[in-house]
Amino acid sequence: MPDAEVEIRNPSGLHARPAAAFVRAAAVFAADVTVTNLTRDSARSASAKSVLGVMGLAVARGHRIRIAAEGSDADDAVTRLTELVDSGLGEAIDGE
Amino acid sequence: MSRELRGTPAAPGVAIAAPWVHRPPQSDAPASVSLAEATEIAAAEVGVLASRLRDRGREAEAEILDAQCLMATDPVLHEAAEELIANGADSAMAIVEAGEAVAASFEAIGDEILAARGADVRDITTRIARIMTGAAPPRLERRSVVVAADLPPSVTVELDRALLAGIALEGGSRTAHAAILSRSLGIPAVVGVRGLCKAAAAAAELAVDGDAGIVYLDPDAAVSAGLARTAEAARQRVDLDARFATVALATADGHRVTCAANIGEPADAAAAFGAGAEAIGLFRTEFAFAGRRTAPDEMVQAAAYAEVLRAAGGAEVVFRLADIGGDKPIAYLPLEPEANPFLGVRAIRLAQRHPDLLPTQLRAILRASLVAGQRASIMAPMVADDEDLDLVLDLVADACAAVPDAPVPRVGIMVEVPSAVLLADRLAPRVEFMSIGTNDLTQYLLAADRSNAALAARQDPLHPVVLRAIARVVEAAHEAPGCDVAVCGEMAGDPAGAQLLVGIGVDELSMDPRAIGAVKRAVGARTLPELVALVASVEQLRSAAEVRAAVETAS
Repeated sequence: MPDAEVEIRNPSGLHARPAAAFVRAAAVFAADVTVTNLTRDSARSASAKSVLGVMGLAVARGHRIRIAAEGSDADDAVTRLTELVDSGLGEAIDGE
Repeated sequence: MSRELRGTPAAPGVAIAAPWVHRPPQSDAPASVSLAEATEIAAAEVGVLASRLRDRGREAEAEILDAQCLMATDPVLHEAAEELIANGADSAMAIVEAGEAVAASFEAIGDEILAARGADVRDITTRIARIMTGAAPPRLERRSVVVAADLPPSVTVELDRALLAGIALEGGSRTAHAAILSRSLGIPAVVGVRGLCKAAAAAAELAVDGDAGIVYLDPDAAVSAGLARTAEAARQRVDLDARFATVALATADGHRVTCAANIGEPADAAAAFGAGAEAIGLFRTEFAFAGRRTAPDEMVQAAAYAEVLRAAGGAEVVFRLADIGGDKPIAYLPLEPEANPFLGVRAIRLAQRHPDLLPTQLRAILRASLVAGQRASIMAPMVADDEDLDLVLDLVADACAAVPDAPVPRVGIMVEVPSAVLLADRLAPRVEFMSIGTNDLTQYLLAADRSNAALAARQDPLHPVVLRAIARVVEAAHEAPGCDVAVCGEMAGDPAGAQLLVGIGVDELSMDPRAIGAVKRAVGARTLPELVALVASVEQLRSAAEVRAAVETAS
């Protein structure tokens, strides 16, 4: 099962607009995609296709998350979603 | 006897009216609509409310409601509700309880932003339950001050603005959704008023002083008189504007400009004509696509479009083709998330990836035109160059061939991309009208993201560079035979902006219907030579603020 870790650099974490952008992106993949907030609670995961699940992970700026996927397009899902988080999910982030 | 309660000022202004206490609807009534169906309706309703805010240029507030659309169908919520139902709970109660559990878990984390999201979850699940039980949506019967423990954002937008005089909340802070919305909608508001709900229930009249942060219960003569004087001055201005609504849009020396309205839903058309519009200069068609699970077919769209043409009764209606992009969720049009949706695959740029979208819409417009027996005007958004225009003209020609009996439409483009300004001399001869979208044009010319509040000062279309761009488009259009120029951005509904646009030589101003009176009054106060001289006098200024100050001093 492919997975990847990435740090959240959005000023307000994965709370509002960035969470919605992430969930809309995850919805295009057939694979089951899960997210874990490694900084807060590595034992708890949420579906990347649930905005409430993702918000409930309380991912703040500086937290590391793990994105894992299972299914036909799992590799693609992990790669694309990781890139998206890395690029700031449509928000301006540090270093740009 | 007058009693006063102190709270926090949340939105300026004064209002005196009867209290209307908002209580969340009861969800223990038996459900008459299924959970799945009610969820779909709730998402559609909130989608319409979001587009209403977007029409008023309230992007940030619209996003609050976009997030609610996404929450409505959230699997976490529905799995929790299904489990409660399996254990014997009533379905309407179940969705409310599931929402409550999510909201409580968000609040327990101790993060202010997340806690506010909890309020959104409650708002959307309450709406779903209300639809399931068939209860009526909250509705004002007369002019009222709305009193509540807290007012959910969707309810604030949904209440009839004409009857919503003021807002007084027992809870909340200046940064609460309801406070932000009331400021942006111009409704006087006081929040954080302890003991309010109980006290207001016994009062016949409430006065809200949104500047001082005071709520008066049954205000006495002296209090009312003081507040009334403040309110009267503001009202006189509004009344004066209203008297101008039905006159023609013209300068003092009789130079006529077409007064058109911007609308976002078919139902708004009749009101726009009633408010003094002579045409619909911008009919945003995104409403037909938002908040649905499947794409609207040709006939569904045609029915909605025909409604507007009929309301227009022969007056022009400009249909803007769907301006959908990565910043707005459309369930059946999977759009790739983009780092910069405003610079991304939106509007006519979707034609390649979604080849049915625009042809279906064009055929629907022509079919509506055929049914209503009235010519339609079609406007393509985001046209950047000749190739974009080739595509649009080809698509229109195909649609005309498919609906051969429909009246031949007028075809025009929205000028909002800076390249279209520079190419205006080449584009103008190929179209029958150009309409300048000053909101997007300003953000693109000055490279200032409209949705970024930190750049708000850079979004003012009175910036000299925007005026220069508009002048260039007007000149190019008037050199081409038979090409009119309109402005349909917020600038057209700003009295100072409207004066400058008329001075520059724009043929039509298309605006929010509520702005019509003020614009007619401002334009009618000056002669055309005065406005031309005004434009010349601001050309050398250096900022939007300087231009605005100069126009206001001249008035």
